[in-house]
Amino acid sequence: MNRRKLLSLLGMSPALLAGIPTEAQKPPTKAKDATDSGSAKITAVNPKGTPPPIQLIPMAPRLDTLDGKTVYLVDTGFHGSDVLLHQIEAWFSRNMPSVTTVFKRKAGPYAEDDPNLWKEIKAKGNAVIMAVGH
Amino acid sequence: MGIPSAPLVTKAFKDLAILNAAKRGMPHERICFTPHPVWGKTPEEVRAYVEGPDPVSGKPLMKEIIDALTVPLSDDEKKSGIVSVSVGPPTFTDTADNLQDFYLNNGYTDFLPIILPTEERVDAMMKGTSHKPDEVVGKMAAGAYPPWSYNVRQVAASAVMAGCRPEYFPIALAIASTGIASLFSSTNSFAFAMIVNGPIRDKLEFNYGIGALGPFAQPNATIGRCWTLMSKNLGNGGIPGDTYLGSLGNNLNYNNVVIAEHEDASPWVPFHVQRGFKKEENVVSLFRGLGVVPGQVARGSSANENVQFDYQMSDLFSTFTGFFGALIIADPLVAARLKEQGYDTKEKLFDWLYKNTTQTVKDYKSRNYAYLFEYPQALQGREPYATWYKLPDDAVIPHFPRPESFNIVVAGGQTNAYPQAGNLSFGVSVSIDKWM
Repeated sequence: MNRRKLLSLLGMSPALLAGIPTEAQKPPTKAKDATDSGSAKITAVNPKGTPPPIQLIPMAPRLDTLDGKTVYLVDTGFHGSDVLLHQIEAWFSRNMPSVTTVFKRKAGPYAEDDPNLWKEIKAKGNAVIMAVGH
Repeated sequence: MGIPSAPLVTKAFKDLAILNAAKRGMPHERICFTPHPVWGKTPEEVRAYVEGPDPVSGKPLMKEIIDALTVPLSDDEKKSGIVSVSVGPPTFTDTADNLQDFYLNNGYTDFLPIILPTEERVDAMMKGTSHKPDEVVGKMAAGAYPPWSYNVRQVAASAVMAGCRPEYFPIALAIASTGIASLFSSTNSFAFAMIVNGPIRDKLEFNYGIGALGPFAQPNATIGRCWTLMSKNLGNGGIPGDTYLGSLGNNLNYNNVVIAEHEDASPWVPFHVQRGFKKEENVVSLFRGLGVVPGQVARGSSANENVQFDYQMSDLFSTFTGFFGALIIADPLVAARLKEQGYDTKEKLFDWLYKNTTQTVKDYKSRNYAYLFEYPQALQGREPYATWYKLPDDAVIPHFPRPESFNIVVAGGQTNAYPQAGNLSFGVSVSIDKWM
């Protein structure tokens, strides 16, 4: 820190600062910017980035019934997902025993894709219940 | 997949689930909801969830799930095609006071007053780079969302708003080019940090001396703030309930942890040189993690001439989440002492910390991050997690997965030998010069 800046920290004593102009004592170098206040209208730039367009994806056709179907219960890996899905599995067992349930934990941390599991479900399953967004 | 599915989400994430499904092309996805949380509930409690109502629709949850899989699709649910998304006109015209309110009320700010990005100011900011206004700088998402893109001019608007000078602009562009948002959707309330290296530290008068991490210099203050404003504006981050879910939030998000390295006072090579850059290059390096804590709480005292900073750091790091790394922010006095202890390279220190910061397998398995992120990798055979999960509970293992989990940067005014440390992992180092 140079002397001028150091002295300016002392409270701007004119005696101390005599002959040492400080930035803080300088008058504004230009009139207050008209954009800072007042009733004049100004134009400012929209700061937002550009969102991608949304590609609508048609939802998969629904089943007529779950009776006799195979439902995959996919655990995303969040805490408690397995407990929840096992309770759903038990509910089907008690209330809709014709439904076959298959419990699977998705491979990898929750944000990772698991194409092998999707392939398996497409080949062997009829529906998916995925849990849980914690 | 072509298979009907019923996603099940806890009520706390209703807005996130609906909005993210829409952004990904399914605005009418049949999302079912359970009470929140599921985590920590007994099977009996969760059974009550299953047999109870969906807390959003009020209908029985299992009927909601079965309907989601079996009720025929509506015309809206069958739609395909492309929908454009508007963020409004390219400019806004009003009085300055009204524009301040408008920017604040539309989520463009950090809720502190901004410098209004008038066309003149944005044009002036762009004089800080040789790159063209419409050049695409990158893409950014604040989580698992479709990323937004942005050009030089759009970056300049956030830089103006943050109070940056045009000569700071290449750093803002370098950060923007990484696509890393400093506001992240996770419930963890992440913190972010950057290290600035190279001659630009002196040219722009960064503070890397007394109060290096505090509000004592314009580039430190505004470039950090700019990262957060860019994350909100360019990456659409920081919308509570939508793109931001941090339960407590993080005060460091206001301007992040900006560290200009005190290169001349370091006994080691500067951080960017470690990453393959030349000393004379200007580089910014980004980190993500949970926050920064003081080093004084650890074992030892700076009043002790023989203070052992390696043991201090090890103590401190044993409280950290191993999933993230550890970034030591060392005052030059701390760095000098470490060198006196024999750590003449950073790598020697990292190796010691890796070997001496340990935990039992039982403790490791009990950690939230281990279950969420590392156990799934162990199941896939990824090391070291696969081995760690096979060991007995009383086995002692490293607290961090590898020596490279550690980093150190030197900054501070040498008024005392105090370190701080971040539970922060290194992300990327990028050239600032490229954006001049």
